[in-house]
Amino acid sequence: MSILNRLSAPDMISPGISACVGCNVELTLRTVMRIVGPNSVLAIPPGCMGGVGVVGWDKLSGARVPVFFPLLTNTASMLSGIRLAYDRQGKVNTHVVAFAGDGASVDAGFQALSGAAERNDRILYVCYDNEGYMNTGYQRSAATPKGAWTSTTPHGKLQIKKDTPRIMADHRIPYVATCSPAYIPDLVTKVEKAMANRDGFSYLHVLTPCVSGWGFPPEESIEVCRSSVQTRYFPLYEVDHGRYRITVDVPKPRPLSEYVGRLKKFSRTTEAELAEMELLVKQQWQELRALERVGGEHIDG
Amino acid sequence: MSQVEVMNGNRAAGIAACLARPDVIAAYPITPQSSVVEFISRMIAEDKLDAKICEVESEHSAMSVLEGASLAGGRTFSATSSQGLALMYEPYFRASTLRLPIVMAIANREMISPQTLWASAQDSLSVRDAGWMQFYVEDNQEILDTLLQAFRIAEDSRVLLPINVCYDGFYLSHMSERVVVPDPEEVDAFLPDGYHPQHILLDPDRPMAVDPLTNGDLLTEYRAKHLAAQQAALEVIEQVDAKFSAAFGRSWDGAVEAYRIDGDCEAVVVTLGSMTGAGREAVDRMRESGASVGLLKLRVVRPFPAKEVRELLRGIPAVGVVDRNVSFGWDTGIIYQEVSSALYGVQGTARVPMIAGLGGQDITVEMFEDALRTLLERGRAGSACSPEFPETIWLSQDGEEETR
Repeated sequence: MSILNRLSAPDMISPGISACVGCNVELTLRTVMRIVGPNSVLAIPPGCMGGVGVVGWDKLSGARVPVFFPLLTNTASMLSGIRLAYDRQGKVNTHVVAFAGDGASVDAGFQALSGAAERNDRILYVCYDNEGYMNTGYQRSAATPKGAWTSTTPHGKLQIKKDTPRIMADHRIPYVATCSPAYIPDLVTKVEKAMANRDGFSYLHVLTPCVSGWGFPPEESIEVCRSSVQTRYFPLYEVDHGRYRITVDVPKPRPLSEYVGRLKKFSRTTEAELAEMELLVKQQWQELRALERVGGEHIDG
Repeated sequence: MSQVEVMNGNRAAGIAACLARPDVIAAYPITPQSSVVEFISRMIAEDKLDAKICEVESEHSAMSVLEGASLAGGRTFSATSSQGLALMYEPYFRASTLRLPIVMAIANREMISPQTLWASAQDSLSVRDAGWMQFYVEDNQEILDTLLQAFRIAEDSRVLLPINVCYDGFYLSHMSERVVVPDPEEVDAFLPDGYHPQHILLDPDRPMAVDPLTNGDLLTEYRAKHLAAQQAALEVIEQVDAKFSAAFGRSWDGAVEAYRIDGDCEAVVVTLGSMTGAGREAVDRMRESGASVGLLKLRVVRPFPAKEVRELLRGIPAVGVVDRNVSFGWDTGIIYQEVSSALYGVQGTARVPMIAGLGGQDITVEMFEDALRTLLERGRAGSACSPEFPETIWLSQDGEEETR
C-alpha cells in the first residue's frame, strides 16, 4: 500500500483541538496515530498536546482511542504498567503509545523513560521536541540548543542541547529513530517499524519547530522542518537493533545560517556562537557516518 | 488446610500479596521493606505465582507502573517505606484521586534527617490526607490478614480507593512469630476473582478519556464523591472483617479495638501499631493491682473512625495518646490531634499528648505503666484542672517523664 493510502486511514484525533496555526506537533500526532490505528492506548503528558485538548475537556474526549494524562514525570512507567496488564490479558497486539514533549521526556520524565528503556518494555514512545516548554510560555529545557532565546534564557541558553536519541540508542533498545514532519514517508516508515518491533522498546524523536515559541511565520512551518534536515542540524537516522543508518542523506548541506537565520529565537546569536553550532553539526554528522560504518552484527532482542 | 509457620512481618506481607493473586507487582527495594520485594520476585521466578513483576528504577515508577496496570484492569500490589513513600508522593496522591484500588504495604520508618532507618509512622501519617485508606497493624498475623481484607475493601464498588497496610519497621518487618497461613482455596473463595473495573478503564474496545482538563465544578463533584467513599469504607471495613472472621475464624474488630475499656475505666491509652502489645501488657498489670485502665487500639486512621473513638472514650476521665511520630507546628503527635478532633466538645475527659519511641526506640511495658499512672492522676484531678492545650509528655525508658 502506498504512503498516501496508509495516510487515508481514519484520523484518531478530534477535529476540534486548539493547536496554534501551523503547529508541527499536531501534524505529527495525527500522522502517527493514523498509522498506529484504533487498537492502541495513547498517553499525553502535560505539554502542548495536553494543553490543546487531545486528552479532552470536561466530559469530552480529544481522541478516538483510550487517552489519558500521565504525570509530567511518569509517562513511560505508566505505559510499562499498561503493557504488563495487557500482556497478561492476552492483548499483545494493542499498542501502548506515548506522545510526549521534550520536557516530559528529556527533563522531568527522563528517569522513567530511561528505566522503561533499560527494562526494554514494549512501548512505542514518541518524543515531540520543540526545544523547550512551549506550552507554558517558552521556558528552557535540556533540549533547547545553545544560544537560543527562551523566556528563562533571555540572553540565550548557555549550554548545548542534550542528544536524547543517541542516549536512547545507548540503552541498546531494539529501535530508535529521528523523524521530521517535512519527511512524512520517512516518518510513516519509522512508525511502522516501531509498531512491528516485538522485541521491546521503540523510541522516535521528532523535531517539531514551534511557530509561536521559535518565531517564524506559520506558512513556513514545513520549510523550517526541511531546513533543519537539509542543514544537517537535525539528521534523520535510525538505529535498528544496534545498526545506525542515515535514512535521509544530505550530500550537500545548506549553510546552517539559513536555518538559524529564519528563527527569531536565534536573533541574538553571535557569529562566534554560529561557528560553534556549525562545528557541532559537523561533528554530529561525522559521528553518525562513523557509527553507520561500524554497522556490526544485527543484534536480535 | 491452613498452615502454621514462623515468619517475619515482611514474609507475611509477601505471602498475603501472593495469596491475593495480583496481576502486576511493582516495588523498589528499601530498608526495612526489601525482603517483601525479594520474596515476591522469588515466587514469580520459581513459578509459584502467576503474575507480572516490574523491576522499576524508583518508587516513583513503582506507583506509576501500578497506576497504568490498574487503569488497564489489573489487580496490583506494592510495598515501600519512608523516603520511598516520599519519592512516590506525586503518583501516590493521584492513585486515590483516580480511584484505583491499589494495595500497598508500608514498613513504617522514620523520615530523615538525621539519617535513620528505624521505626516510626512519620512516613505514612505525613501523607494521611492524600486520599488513601490507611490501616496500622499490631503483629504479623494481622499483617497477613489485613492485607487480604485490604484487596476486598479497596475493590468494593462502594469504596474503590487505594489502601495502605502499615506495620512498624524492624519491630514487625524483621521480627519472627507464629502466623497462620490460610489455604489458597479459602482465600480464592474470600476474594473476588480478579479486579474488574467499570468506573475507569483503558480499553480500546470502549475508548475512554482519563483525566481531561476539568473545571472546578466537576472537580468538586469528584472530591465530594471521594470523601463519601472514605466514609462508606467505614461500614465496608466492618462487613469485610465480619466475613473474614466467618471464613478464617479471626476477627480484627474493624477500625478500632477497645481493650479492657469498661464503664469504670479511669484512664485509657490510645495506641497505633506494634506498641499496642506492650500497652496491653501494662493494662493487664495495672488491672491486677486494682487500677481501672484500658487501651484503645486505632487500627484505621483513614477513614478516621471518629464516631467510634468518640463513643468509646466518652466519659473516660483521662485519655493519653501515645504517638511514635510528631506533628510539627502542633507540638504534639499526629494521632493526638486526630483523637482530639474526634473528642471535640466532649466534657469531662482530660486529654494528654504523649510521644515515645521515635527513631525506633523501644516503647516498653513500664513506659505504658508510667503513662497510665500519670493519666490516673490527671483524671482524679478533674478535667477542669486540665489545661486546654496540655503539654506533650515525652515517655522515656528511664522512667522519667518529661516535657520539653
